[in-house]
Amino acid sequence: MKYFNYDIDEDGIATLTFDTPKSAVNVLCFAALYELRELITNFETDKSIKALFIESAKEDIFIAGADIKEIKAFKDEAEIIAKLREGQEIFNRLENLPFETVAVIDGACLGGGLELALACDYRIATNEAHTSLGLVEVSLGIIPGLGGTQRLPLLVGFRKALELIVGSKRLKGDKALKLGLVDASVPAGYLAFKKEEYSKAILSGTLEAQVAKKRQYIKWYERFSPLRTLIATMARKEVMKKTAGHYPAALKTIDVLEETLEMSLEEGLKVEIEVFAPLATSEVSKNLIELFFTSEALKKETFSKAKAKPINTSAVIGVGTMGSGIAWVLAQKEIPVRLGARQMSSIAKATAKMMKSFERLQKRGRLTSREIGLKMDRVAYTTDMQGLSAVDIVIEAVSEAAEVKRQVFEDLEAKVSKEAIIATNTSSLNISSLLENVKHPERFVGMHFFNPVEMMPLVEVIAGEKTSDETLATVVSLAKKLGKTPIKVKECAGFLVNRTLLPYLNEAARMFEEGANIEGIDKVVKDFGLPMGPFTLADEVGLDIGEKVSDILYEAYGERMKPSPILAQLVEKGWLGKKTGQGFYLHQGRKKLLNTEMENLQSKKENLDEQTILDRSILIMVNEAAKCLEEKVVEKAAYLDMAMVMGTGFPAFRGGLLRYADSLGIAEVVKRLSLLESRYGERFAPAKSLLDMAEKGESFYSTSNARLS
Amino acid sequence: MSTEKTNNKKPKNEKIPIKKTKKQKERIAIVTALRTPMARAGGKFAKMQADQLGARLFRELMLRSPVSFEEVDEVIIGNVAQPIHAANIARVIALRAGFPEATPSLTVHRNCASGMESITTAASRIHSGEGKIYVCGGVESMSNIPLVYSASMTALFTKLSRSKTVLDKVQTLLGFRPSFLKPIVGLMSGLTDPVSGLLMGNTAEVLAQDFGISREEQDAFALASHEKAAKAKESGRFAKESMALVYDERAGKYLDFDDGIRESQTLEKLGKLRPFFDRKNGTVTAGNSSQITDAAAGVVLMSESEAQKRKLEPLGYLTDYAYEGLEPKRMGLGPVFATEKLFRQTGFCMKDMQIVEINEAFAAQVIACERAFASKEFAKTHFAKKEAVGAIDPEILNVNGGSIALGHPVGMTGTRLVLTVLHELRERGLQRGLATLCIGGGQGAALLLEVE
Repeated sequence: MKYFNYDIDEDGIATLTFDTPKSAVNVLCFAALYELRELITNFETDKSIKALFIESAKEDIFIAGADIKEIKAFKDEAEIIAKLREGQEIFNRLENLPFETVAVIDGACLGGGLELALACDYRIATNEAHTSLGLVEVSLGIIPGLGGTQRLPLLVGFRKALELIVGSKRLKGDKALKLGLVDASVPAGYLAFKKEEYSKAILSGTLEAQVAKKRQYIKWYERFSPLRTLIATMARKEVMKKTAGHYPAALKTIDVLEETLEMSLEEGLKVEIEVFAPLATSEVSKNLIELFFTSEALKKETFSKAKAKPINTSAVIGVGTMGSGIAWVLAQKEIPVRLGARQMSSIAKATAKMMKSFERLQKRGRLTSREIGLKMDRVAYTTDMQGLSAVDIVIEAVSEAAEVKRQVFEDLEAKVSKEAIIATNTSSLNISSLLENVKHPERFVGMHFFNPVEMMPLVEVIAGEKTSDETLATVVSLAKKLGKTPIKVKECAGFLVNRTLLPYLNEAARMFEEGANIEGIDKVVKDFGLPMGPFTLADEVGLDIGEKVSDILYEAYGERMKPSPILAQLVEKGWLGKKTGQGFYLHQGRKKLLNTEMENLQSKKENLDEQTILDRSILIMVNEAAKCLEEKVVEKAAYLDMAMVMGTGFPAFRGGLLRYADSLGIAEVVKRLSLLESRYGERFAPAKSLLDMAEKGESFYSTSNARLS
Repeated sequence: MSTEKTNNKKPKNEKIPIKKTKKQKERIAIVTALRTPMARAGGKFAKMQADQLGARLFRELMLRSPVSFEEVDEVIIGNVAQPIHAANIARVIALRAGFPEATPSLTVHRNCASGMESITTAASRIHSGEGKIYVCGGVESMSNIPLVYSASMTALFTKLSRSKTVLDKVQTLLGFRPSFLKPIVGLMSGLTDPVSGLLMGNTAEVLAQDFGISREEQDAFALASHEKAAKAKESGRFAKESMALVYDERAGKYLDFDDGIRESQTLEKLGKLRPFFDRKNGTVTAGNSSQITDAAAGVVLMSESEAQKRKLEPLGYLTDYAYEGLEPKRMGLGPVFATEKLFRQTGFCMKDMQIVEINEAFAAQVIACERAFASKEFAKTHFAKKEAVGAIDPEILNVNGGSIALGHPVGMTGTRLVLTVLHELRERGLQRGLATLCIGGGQGAALLLEVE
């Protein structure tokens, strides 16, 4: 046997241990499933077995899920249907074994892994942090396909099952116990005792009655069809509100659960497969799966060969919006952080903001006030840069002005140890130019966090000309430790994300100038799938900041980034967006109203068609992104796509900006850009690489620079 | 030995020769020292428990120190009220402040001298070779001293929890009397001497009677304390020894000064206050007593040679110390007894002291000490000596005010006095000072401090 080890003791208690060879994880590939089928065939006739425990030999992982590579490789619906039938059949036979079966879950138990556990008679989980259980298929654009939609409601009820599958929720052991998903949740150290207890209870035939009390089952009212319909309708509404229907798997999950609740297992499994197959071959699922692979690749990506230094203590200088956000992320991950600011009032404000972020987690039950207290214990502060001699890294987040930053760097070098790394959280300044006077440029590096730092997963890591590999490796590793996704980008004005995004905001302003309607444009872009339209975003960011970044980019890239005069006009009026209550919109508390005075700035009214709005908005970004790839600002198309998804909320179901371009076809992209160029000017002139690809019939993901490894 | 009167008018460069002491123990270097601001109890720091207050102070102390957390042999912290939720509060503070789990921690309690006891305990450990580097200090949250149920109420609770049937429970509850609910005020109990039965303020009344100290004298002393403290605060003198503290992280509020100092204090205002302890005939009021306050202070200690080896520039040195007991009813005279012992031990006399801090538990008590120090009669009665222990030049006594203005967080004050003396010696370019205080229960403590 390759994947499983089998053992039986004198009492007839058998243990099956899943141990994928040469791998740190267990994934449910078909080879493993076939081996399991073989074992089950033997078990079915083996009279000596009284009970079977299924365990994992991997640390922190029970079964991480089905093998997504296999799902990706399926040729067509017919193949998917055939394969899934096989899989479902294996789980059915597992469920029907003539003795009782127990899944012992100490670690991740996700997707297909949980479906296997659901096919067992009982489940024991540990209540350790590394244990999480969930059917997370919807997050990959598919639904559970190995009986998850059928067996989960039987344990937790219809409404809860909907909530868990639609939301791709992951549960800790204790919560899973509360919902009835598992029958026990114990510390890992007591797992052996629990197994012994279960073995005895199975042998004496008392286990079933013992656990039955705790399970939730399908509620009587959920079996009452009108109520079930009501629950499903409400769930659909919720999904539509959150995703605008861009993620069909969530809606399909609701359909399947509602339709099959009263069916036999056999009938229900058929429906499950019928819905699964078209989803798995859909564009959306393929895009989500590709992004999943990119994120897996980025977890392993180090961007340099050097070894990262350990970061045990840190400091953040400048504790405004960005600085306090960075400090909170450090504190949350229990890296001691020293706040530096000129005024105690800024520091006190920063702690208040940090506490708010902590309390948000507390409200969701993820932290206790004791834990928050202990995290805040590691937060110290200084107004005169004292006490920095022991820090391993200082992240500077003072105001975005070259002179201020230069001064801070100079002061810092005098205060920190020789080994300390100094990272700067600049969003647009050229790092090398800031380092002309520093003594050790090799320890300086850019770390561009996105606002709000607490939520945004992306960190652009920028190596200056002299940044050492060790420095780079260290901040990449730190960013990962902070739960962020670091992507290395080459030094250039605006780096990757802002450089790509700004032409889009600028184009929106130009459309407005030409007489287009603000809300109309915002709606088109939002319907496309971005979290908000360009005018809403500009107001959120602040028009003064927009103007500042625009100027920097204009200086660096020339005509194609020439700022629309509208921006300057608004800044002059003091309409800076949300923070002043007035920008493209009027902001009253949480409400956003149309700023009717804006019309006075338009000399004419002209409505653009949706396609033009969309192409001017999205293709101008595609064009700039193509240039970034040409200049190797980022190494791979897949990384660029991930950066845009994480940094700007570019819709994941579209797979990213470049994948969207690929889906149109590069020839089509070039055609549309050329048309826009003729109508609106040179800024739309297709990038050289686009022209090349169009000529050769290539796409971003077909060219060699796009591949992940 | 200097025979001249020494005070702050003395030229800075004129050094006094170090006198050979009887016991030539190595001096203990105070490498780093820091305190929090002192906040009136029930005020700014009221929501901070003592362990949190201590955690903030000691983390900041260590981050400012040339010594790393890992190098510290033990953390010793003085605390009087010892909160129920943080048994051995020094350990709780050490862990919360970021000391390694392997660093042992000890809480010490010598009542009002707890903040000195932590330092002298460490000194004696350094001398015995038990360890090299100690972090010491004192912490007190007088805001959080709890009210306690009476013994009868506690007994009722116990009985209730043991009552099995409903009938039992009802019967137990019938034994309840409203008087059971009268709480014991922890703060008041703590400030009552169980042997003499006197509140600390009443022991000050005893001294006022013994030495004939009038209400006016006491009020004038209190006013001077506020005036001197206000001046020191204004000049930024206190900012040098203390950190700014964010006391409400949620609301984003911080304190960066000692909020007990009343710049607008007047004799008239002080005169209007009713005596607090002896309401009919007394002279001791809330105005001429130390304030009830929350604060923490800490120091990093090592031997002088260790500091030299590390090429450090210590803030100053602890040269010697003495504790002495006396009648609990007159505990306020503790400084005289302890200082007399310290002088005997070291061969120094009062005239060698260039700065003297006597903790201002009560104005009457400090004035009584001043008189006892200067009195031949007192020396003859108590120490069988012909000469007085030594009159204190008022110009060098409590030069920045004291606990009447700043407050007296009991477990912390001892450490604060050390900071005050050392900073003041440095400020004035002087070498030697005395920090002494009276201890509830009838003791005195005296520390001989020096700077280079």
